[in-house]
Amino acid sequence: MRASVLLLPVTAGVLAAQTPGTTDTTRGAALPVLGVAIPAAGTLVAVTNATIITATHGTIEKGTILIRNGKIAAVGKDIAIPAGAQVIDGTGKYVMPGIIDAHSHSSGEAINEGSRSVTAQVRMQDVLREDAIGMYRELAGGVTTLNILHGSANTIGGQNAVVKIRWGLPIDSMLFAGAPPGIKFALGENVRQTNGGNIPGRPARYPRTRMGVEELLRESFTRAREYQAEWKAYDDAKKALKKGEAEPIPPRKDLQLDALVEILEGKRLVHAHSYRSDEILMLLKVAKDFGFRIASLQHVLEGYKIADEIAAAGTGASTFADNWAYKLEAFDAIPFNAALMAERGVKVSINSDSDERARRLYQEAAKAMKYGGASEEEAIRMITLNAAWQLGIDKMTGSIDVGKDADLAIFNGHPFAPASRVEMTLIDGRVFFDRLKAPTLEALIEALKRRPRANTTSEGAQ
Amino acid sequence: MNRLLLASALALAGAAPLGAQAAPAPRAAAAPSVFAITNTTIVPVSGPRIANGTVVIRNGKIEAAGSGVATPPGATVIDGTGLFVYPGMIDSGDRMGITEIGSVPGGEDTQELGQYNPHNAVLSAVNPSSVHVPITRANGVTSAITSAQGGMIQGWAALIDLAGWTPDEMAENGRVAMVMTYPRTGGGGRRGFRAQGQGGDAAEAQNRQVRELYDYLREARAYNAKPNPVPQNLPFAALGPALRGEVPVIFDVQTEGQIRGVLALADTFKLKVVLRGATESWMLADTLAARKVPVIVGPLTATPDGDAPYDAVYAYPGVLAKAGVLIAFQTNDGGEGDARNLPYNAALATAYGLDPEEALRAVTVNPARIWGVSDRIGSIEPGKVANLFLTTGDPLDVRSQVREVFIRGQRMPWDDRHTTEYQKFRSRPKP
Repeated sequence: MRASVLLLPVTAGVLAAQTPGTTDTTRGAALPVLGVAIPAAGTLVAVTNATIITATHGTIEKGTILIRNGKIAAVGKDIAIPAGAQVIDGTGKYVMPGIIDAHSHSSGEAINEGSRSVTAQVRMQDVLREDAIGMYRELAGGVTTLNILHGSANTIGGQNAVVKIRWGLPIDSMLFAGAPPGIKFALGENVRQTNGGNIPGRPARYPRTRMGVEELLRESFTRAREYQAEWKAYDDAKKALKKGEAEPIPPRKDLQLDALVEILEGKRLVHAHSYRSDEILMLLKVAKDFGFRIASLQHVLEGYKIADEIAAAGTGASTFADNWAYKLEAFDAIPFNAALMAERGVKVSINSDSDERARRLYQEAAKAMKYGGASEEEAIRMITLNAAWQLGIDKMTGSIDVGKDADLAIFNGHPFAPASRVEMTLIDGRVFFDRLKAPTLEALIEALKRRPRANTTSEGAQ
Repeated sequence: MNRLLLASALALAGAAPLGAQAAPAPRAAAAPSVFAITNTTIVPVSGPRIANGTVVIRNGKIEAAGSGVATPPGATVIDGTGLFVYPGMIDSGDRMGITEIGSVPGGEDTQELGQYNPHNAVLSAVNPSSVHVPITRANGVTSAITSAQGGMIQGWAALIDLAGWTPDEMAENGRVAMVMTYPRTGGGGRRGFRAQGQGGDAAEAQNRQVRELYDYLREARAYNAKPNPVPQNLPFAALGPALRGEVPVIFDVQTEGQIRGVLALADTFKLKVVLRGATESWMLADTLAARKVPVIVGPLTATPDGDAPYDAVYAYPGVLAKAGVLIAFQTNDGGEGDARNLPYNAALATAYGLDPEEALRAVTVNPARIWGVSDRIGSIEPGKVANLFLTTGDPLDVRSQVREVFIRGQRMPWDDRHTTEYQKFRSRPKP
C-alpha cells in the first residue's frame, strides 16, 4: 500500500497549476514571488485505521483521514474511501497534525544583521537555502512548518519567513502561501551585547541597557508614525488633486520604516525574543502605547511571572520546554512555564530555536504534561495549533480538521511515548518523508556490509 | 519571604496542589532512618520486576526488597500503590557542581589552562549547593560522573551522588576515572583523521598533538616505574593508576579515526579505556565488543555530523548494544539543565532500535558496572545503597511523574529552585 504513495519526482506529471501565490508587498509594488508550481497531492489520499490526534476535537481510534487536493476532506471513524484513492495504512499508527516550530533558524544562510539596532528592512526570505539538511531532519521529526526568524542581535531585527518543508523543491516553493508577514524583535542580554558581543576594538552599539532598548523602540515607532503621516498627507493630496495643479512630491521611500508602519497597521506580526518579566511588560506597554499587538513573545522564560498580563494583551508565548541557566536572564526559567502560562489563559507554543530540538519537539511538548499538568491535547496544541495561531495560519493548518491543509505526522506509537518515532510526514497531502525510503543508519550499515572489501587497513596506529 | 521560609510554609500547607510534580507529605523535623515503600511494583533492573512488593530502607541501605517483606516497626510508611520503584539513574558525563550559569564568567569552573592536567581532581571544585543538584535528582537521576573539559588530559572525574553537605559526602568515588581526549582534525564526517576543508595543516597539527600525547604518557610511565622519584612530579604521579590499569580512562572522542587512535594508544600503554560520546563508534561496534570497551553514548540531543544519516545519533546506541558493547548514557550537561533529561536521551535511542530494557540498564546497572560501583548502586537489591525513586510509570516516558527520591536512604526534599518558583507564581493573585 505504501508504495502507492511514493514521493513522485518533481518533474512528474502531477505538477498542478497551484502556485505559492505569495505576493511581496513590502517593496511597494506587488511582485509575485518567483517560484515553480507546487506539485499537488494525488487527488485523493486516505490515511486509514489510525489513531488520530486532532488537536481540536480529541482523539479518534481506528479513524480515517480523507485528503482531497491536499486539503483534509473528511476525518472520522466511518469514512468511505472513494475508488482510486491512494491508501496509507495507518494500522497501529498515530497521526497528529504536522508539527509547527514557531522559532527556527533552519536554512537561514545568515540570521543576524546586527550592525545596527534597527534592521527592519532585511528579510530572511532572501537568505534561505533549500538544501539546508537541518530542514530534512526536522521533517523526519514530523515538522511541517517553520517560522524562520532573524537572530536576536538587535532590538528590531529582520523580517521572518514562514515555510513549509517541501523538501526537494526550490526554496521559493517552500514559502507558506498566505502566511502574514512577521518580524523579529529582541530584548535583554543579546541586544545589550552582554555575552561576548562587546568585542574590544569594535565600537559599542547603542543601546547597552534595557532602558535604552525601550527608548529605541519608542524612538523608532515615533519615526514610523511621522513617516506614516507624511505618506498619508501625500496620498490625501493626490486624491484631492485638481486638474491643472502640480503633482505633490512623494516622501522619500524608506524600506525600514515601511516595515515599521506595517507593524503599526497590524499587517506585520511581531515575534519578540524576551526573557525577563520586566522587559516583557515594557514591550507590552510600548506596543499598547503605539496601538499594535505583539503576536508572540519568544523564549519568554519568565512569562510565568506575568502570565495574566500576557494573556490580557492577547499575546502568544512561545517558549522552551525546560532549557534554563545558560545565561543569567535564563536563571529564573522553570519547566512549569508553559503549563502555568496556559493555565492562566495564554496561548502557548513550545519551540526549538535549534536544528536539534526541532527534531524531537514532540518529546519537548510532553514536558508540559510532566511539569504543571497540561492536558495531552493542550500539550499537542503547543506544537501545532497554538503555534499556527501565533503565526496567523491557524485557519490553514495546525489541526486535523476538515478544510485545512493535510499537514500530518504519522508516528509508530503515541507521539509522547518513549519509543515512538516518525514514520511519515505529509504536507498538503503529499508524502515528503517516509522512513521506509529514508537513508537510515540501519540502511547504511546494510549497504556497508554489501560493499566490496578493499584492502582494509589494520586497526590501530595511524 | 525568603525561599527557605516559603518552602517550609508550603510544606506545612501540604495540601496545596503542586501541579503534576507533587511534593511529598510534610516531613517531621528529625528525619527517620527507616522507611518502607509498600504495595508497590519494584523494578530492580538486575532481576525481574516484583509486583505488590515492599522496599525497606534502613540507615542508608536497602534492607529488603520483595513481595513478602514485612514493614518493620517504627518505619515511615510510603504507600506505593500504583507506583513503581526504580534504582536511581546515573548520568555518565556532565559538569555537575562546576557550572552554574554557563555564560557568566563566574558561573563556570570547568577549563584549566594548559593541555595536560592529570593531577586536577574535579571533586574539590564541586559545589554541593549548586541549584542543579536538586533539580536533576527530582527526575530520578541520583548520581553523576562529573569532570572538567578542555585540553588533552582533564584530570580526575568524580562519581557523585546528588545529595550531601560537602563534596566528600557526595562522592561515591572522587577518583573514579582519568579523563582524556584524543586529537582530531576539524570537520567530522566519516573519517575523523581527514583534515576536512583545512588542508594539510590541520592533519599536521593533529599528528603533532598525537606525538605529544604519546611522549607525555611515555614520560609518565617511566616516572611511575621509578621506586621513589625525586623531585616528585604530581601530574605524572596522577597518571600512575591509569597506566597500571587500576582505573579506567575516559576518552571524550567522536570520530572513527579518534576511536582507532584511542585503541592504539590503549594497546601501547595498557589502558583500560571507556569511550564517551563516540558517535561514530557504530562503525567499530564488533571491534569494541570483542575488546570489551564500554561506550558512554550521548548526548542524543545532538545533530549528526556531516553527511551521517538523519537518525545516526539516535540509532547508534542500539547498534552498539546489539553488537554486545556495554553502553551507558551521558547528557554532557554543561549547566544547561539537561542532566535531568538523562532518561529521555535513552528514550530517543529506544525509538531507533535500542531495546527498552537495555536502555534502562544503560542508565542504572551498566554505568554502575563501568564505574566499579555495582556492589553499591545501580539496582534494587538488599545490601545496596538506597539510591532509588518512586514514580508513576516508565522513567523513560516524559509523562511519568517522580513522587519520591531517596539518596543514601535519605528522603529528598522538593524545595528546589523550580518547584519553589512555580509555587510562588502559581499563587500570585490576579492583578
